[in-house]
Amino acid sequence: MKTKYMNPYLAGFLLGFVLLMAFYFSGRGLGASGAVKDVLVFSMDKVAPTHTAENHYFGKYVADGANPLNNWLVYEMLGVVLGGFISGAIAGRLKLRIEHFPGISANRRLVFALIGGVLFGFGSQLGRGCTSGSALTGMAVLSLGGFITMAAIFGTAFAAAYFFKKNWIG
Amino acid sequence: MKPRNLAVGIMILLGIVIAMVPENTTKPFKLTAQQMLNAVNDGTEMVHPDLLADWLINKDPSIQLIDVRSSDEFEKFHLDQAINVPRADILSPDYREIWDQGVKFNVIYSNGSTTAHDAWMILRQLGYQNIGVLMGGLNYWTEVVMNPKSPAAILPDDEIAKYEFRKGASQALGGGSASAPATSAEIEVQKPKIVPRKAKKAPQGGC
Amino acid sequence: MGPLIPNEIIAGNWNFLIAFVIGIGFGFVLEQAGFSSSRKLAGMFYGYDTVVLKVFFTGAITAMLGLLFFSLFDWIDLSLVYVNPTFLWSAIIGGVIMGLGFITAGFCPGTSVCAAAIGKIDAMIFIVGIFLGIFIFGESFPLLQNLFVAGDMGSPKLNQVLGISGGVLALLVILAAAIMFWIGEWAERKFPREEY
Repeated sequence: MKTKYMNPYLAGFLLGFVLLMAFYFSGRGLGASGAVKDVLVFSMDKVAPTHTAENHYFGKYVADGANPLNNWLVYEMLGVVLGGFISGAIAGRLKLRIEHFPGISANRRLVFALIGGVLFGFGSQLGRGCTSGSALTGMAVLSLGGFITMAAIFGTAFAAAYFFKKNWIG
Repeated sequence: MKPRNLAVGIMILLGIVIAMVPENTTKPFKLTAQQMLNAVNDGTEMVHPDLLADWLINKDPSIQLIDVRSSDEFEKFHLDQAINVPRADILSPDYREIWDQGVKFNVIYSNGSTTAHDAWMILRQLGYQNIGVLMGGLNYWTEVVMNPKSPAAILPDDEIAKYEFRKGASQALGGGSASAPATSAEIEVQKPKIVPRKAKKAPQGGC
Repeated sequence: MGPLIPNEIIAGNWNFLIAFVIGIGFGFVLEQAGFSSSRKLAGMFYGYDTVVLKVFFTGAITAMLGLLFFSLFDWIDLSLVYVNPTFLWSAIIGGVIMGLGFITAGFCPGTSVCAAAIGKIDAMIFIVGIFLGIFIFGESFPLLQNLFVAGDMGSPKLNQVLGISGGVLALLVILAAAIMFWIGEWAERKFPREEY
C-alpha cells in the first residue's frame, strides 16, 4: 500500500531533538532492549522467584525487593507504543498484518523474525544495549563503546546481507 | 534547495563552529552574590576554637580538619589528623570528594583566618556545604586553647569555667602548661550541623 | 542548568512521566520516518532504501551537536550525562550478533515496538524472540560472564581516545555522514525499489 513517510532529514532532526530532551531532562539517552529485559525479569520473578534471585545476571534486578519495572526505560517504551500508534493512526497505517517481501511466504517471514529476535535479545545483553541505547545514544555522547557497537552491528549486517537477500529482494 | 543539502550544509556549519570553539570547562557558581553576602553576614561558618577543642576531645568522627597552607608549613606543624589541601589546589578534581559530600563537616584552618576564609568563600559559592572556618586560625587556637591565660579572679563564673575547660583541652590536645586537670566544664556545645546530601549519584542510564 | 533531574531542579518524581512523554515522541518520529517497516529498515543493506542511514545519522548528529552547544552555553553539565561504558569484547561480539539479528529480521527492539503498535504481526513475533534471547543469555550467564566483563575500558569518549576535542570529532562525524548520504542517494537511484 502506498503511504507517505516524513522526510528522513526532518525525521532525523526530530529524533535528535527528542534524544537531546532526554539528556536535558533526565541526563540519559534512549533505549529499548533494557525495557524488554525488565518485563522479562518481572515475569520470571512472579513465576520462579528463587531461581530469578539466584541467577547471576537477573538477580540484581530483584535484589532487596526492587521492582524491575520501576525503570526509566519501561515508561519510555510505553510511550513508544503510544507514539507509534498515534503516528500510524494519523498516517492511516494501522493494519494487522504480516509484512514481507512478496517473494517469500508469510510463515517464512515469521520464522526469520523470531530467529532475528532471539539473536537481538541475546546480542543486546552482551553488547549492553541495542541500536537505540548503545549506537544512537552512544554516538550522541561520543562514547567509544557506542561507536564500536554501531560499527559492529551495521558492519555485520552489510557483510551478511548477501546471504539473506532471498528474504528481501529475491 | 534540496532538503539533504540544506540539512548537511547546516550540520557542517555548526560542526565547524563547535570544532573551533574551545571546550567549556567552567565550574558555575551556584549561589548568587546576594546569597553569598547573606552567608557572610550570618557568620555561621566561623568555628570558635573552644568549639573545635570540644569536638576534638570527644573525638567527634564527623569532623575533618583541612589545612589550606602550603605543604612546607603543614610539615612543620599541623593539627592532629588534618589533611593538607593547599589553597591553590582546592579546585583540583583530586580533592573534589572532600567537599562534595554530606557526611563530614570540614573545618578549614590556616595561620590566621584570611587564607582559610578565602577558600571557604569559593567553595561555598560553588554550592558545597558542611564547611566551616576555624576562627582566628592556628594563631588564635594556640593563644586560646593551647596556652590559655589564667583569668583574673573577678571575672564571671563562665569565664572561669571556660578557662578550666581550655586548660584541660590543651592538656588533652598536647598543649602548654601542666596544671591541674579541669573540672568538667559546663559549656554549651553544639554538634556540627551537617547538611545531609545524597551523594551526587553517578549518572545512570544504559540498557 | 541541565540535566534538570540529576541537578534536582525538577523533582525526581517527574522522571518517569518525562520518560513516557519522551517515549511518545520517540515512537511517533520512528513511525513517521517509516521505521515501522522491516522492509524499509533492511533496505539499507541492499541499497534500495537508505532511510535508516539518513534518520539515524541525522538524529545522532543533531543530539551530538545539541549536547556540545548546550554545554558551551552552560545549559547542561556534561559530567552528569550518562556515557555508556566500553567493554571491548562484548561490545564487538554483541554487535556482531545484533547485526545478524538485524539482517535476519529487519528490526531492532525499538523499531519493533513501533511496528507492533501499528499492527505488524512479524514485529510482535520478533519481540517474542527478544524475550527468548534475553532469557537464554541470562540462563547461560555463568558461561558468558568472563566475556561479558572482558576488556573493561571504563567510559571513554572516542575523542579522548583519538586525542581530539569533542567538537572536532563531531565535525568529522558530520563529514563522514555527508559522504554516506551522497553514496546512499546514489545507491537508491541505482537499485530501484518497488512499492511496498
